[in-house]
Amino acid sequence: MSNQDITLKVEDLHKSYGSNKVLKGVSFEIRKGEIKIICGPSGTGKSTLLRCLNLLTPPDRGHVWLEGEEITDAGTDIHKVRQKIGFVFQEFNLFKHLTALRNVSIGLEVVKGIKKDEAREIALEQLRKVGLEEHAHKYPGELSGGQKQRVAIARALAMNPVIMFYDEPTSALDPQLIGEVLDVMKKLAKEKITSLVVTHEIGFARSVGDEIMFMTDGRIIERGPPDEVILNPKHEVTRNFFRNITRLYERSEQ
Amino acid sequence: MNFWDVFLLKILEEEFWGVFLPKILGGWVVTVKVLLISIPLSTILAITLAVARIYGNKPVSLLAASFVGLFRGFPCVVTLLMIFFALPEIGVYLSPYWSAVLAFVIVSGSYQSEYVRGAIQSIEIGQSFAAQSLGMTKLQEIIHIILPQALRRALPGVSNEIIYLVKYSSLASFIGVGEIFAVSRLYNSLYFRPIDIFLAAAVIYMFMCTIASFIFKVIENKSRYPE
Ligand SMILES: Nc1ncnc2c1ncn2[C@@H]1O[C@H](COP(=O)(O)OP(=O)(O)OP(=O)(O)O)[C@@H](O)[C@H]1O
Ligand SMILES: [Mg+2]
Repeated sequence: MSNQDITLKVEDLHKSYGSNKVLKGVSFEIRKGEIKIICGPSGTGKSTLLRCLNLLTPPDRGHVWLEGEEITDAGTDIHKVRQKIGFVFQEFNLFKHLTALRNVSIGLEVVKGIKKDEAREIALEQLRKVGLEEHAHKYPGELSGGQKQRVAIARALAMNPVIMFYDEPTSALDPQLIGEVLDVMKKLAKEKITSLVVTHEIGFARSVGDEIMFMTDGRIIERGPPDEVILNPKHEVTRNFFRNITRLYERSEQ
Repeated sequence: MNFWDVFLLKILEEEFWGVFLPKILGGWVVTVKVLLISIPLSTILAITLAVARIYGNKPVSLLAASFVGLFRGFPCVVTLLMIFFALPEIGVYLSPYWSAVLAFVIVSGSYQSEYVRGAIQSIEIGQSFAAQSLGMTKLQEIIHIILPQALRRALPGVSNEIIYLVKYSSLASFIGVGEIFAVSRLYNSLYFRPIDIFLAAAVIYMFMCTIASFIFKVIENKSRYPE
């Protein structure tokens, strides 16, 4: 197993907001092509972890390597790092003043300096991939939640990142719109796009996840193959968590 | 009233509009020249001030805030007179025209910047997160993501301020700029026909404001996007 196969390596990450210790030493790594799932109760620092990893928030302590380069080094070009990480937000955060197409192409033009026409072609291709080519000219205000999130995924993918982060990508969606987003994510997982996914969609976790990391109170307390962690958790907290989630999940499946 | 007085009045009566109209239209041209430069520059200054206040480091932000506080606090006419009379004291000589332009840019820019600042601050933080996550620098984010949305929101307030500026541009007459109001005052002192003269001036200002409102309405509609 060479080092080059490790896309993301995290070591002993700490983060506090004032006296509130949010991350208390998180370590893990993701190999190329892997899909890792993070689960855990609200307020345990899942979003904070993702934000620390692409340096939207500076971590207090610990190290992060992206493709073998330490990005927690003082001299890191954070803009370069962020280009390599696709970030999908719970609230979509599409640029409201831009059409779906421009949402996808603007990063290519502004950040990567790609010519307008070429950026447009790439953007159309990405929108086709998430099944939204015919909505390319629409503004976010004219799209459903599920469509918005698919545009957001296309926007992140267009930058050709080495890893995708998803922060509860379906939590803000009406139940009937969750499926279309998960379908796109599953398709990408099958293409072996390295991903770190915060989600409570256990069906998704079990079908495409390589590993679940269960987080609570700023630490990863349990990890393993999805079926094992979900069906046979070692910790009481994990068991309670998945029992509640499964109950909700089954109810919505009916 | 002797013969000559009556005679003179008669002449003036007949000559009044023929003399006054070309002069006030000449004044109008001066007003338009003042406004066409002041308006875009004031909006550019407003955006700069607002961006400096929000995104600048402590000293820059404080400087911008003080600038706005100062020139929103001073009566416009005081700022105008200070620029015209006080700048020469420190060796800066500006013509009445450029003094007026500078004063209007500073005053209106300060007023407008409050609307721009409020609009920038009303943009959801998620827009900024998304821009950053693509790898945009702060400047790219401001130019491509934040300002296009914020300016759209600031437009009603900014256009109101600009319409005020159209009217208080008449203050330039105090420092000898030969614009509409200056011409009106001059001809009123010659002919003493205040009702005709000032009504004519008022109608011209109103006409300009109507045109300005119309232009802003068009911009507002053109820049609208579905939310
Ligand atoms: N910018 C911030 N400033 C101060 N405190 C913050 C900030 N962001 C998060 N926190 C705090 O950090 C803790 C963890 O928040 P975080 O959003 O990472 O949790 P989470 O696991 O993503 O929860 P959820 O499932 O609700 O999204 C919370 O107590 C939150 O109040
Ligand atoms: Mg969260």
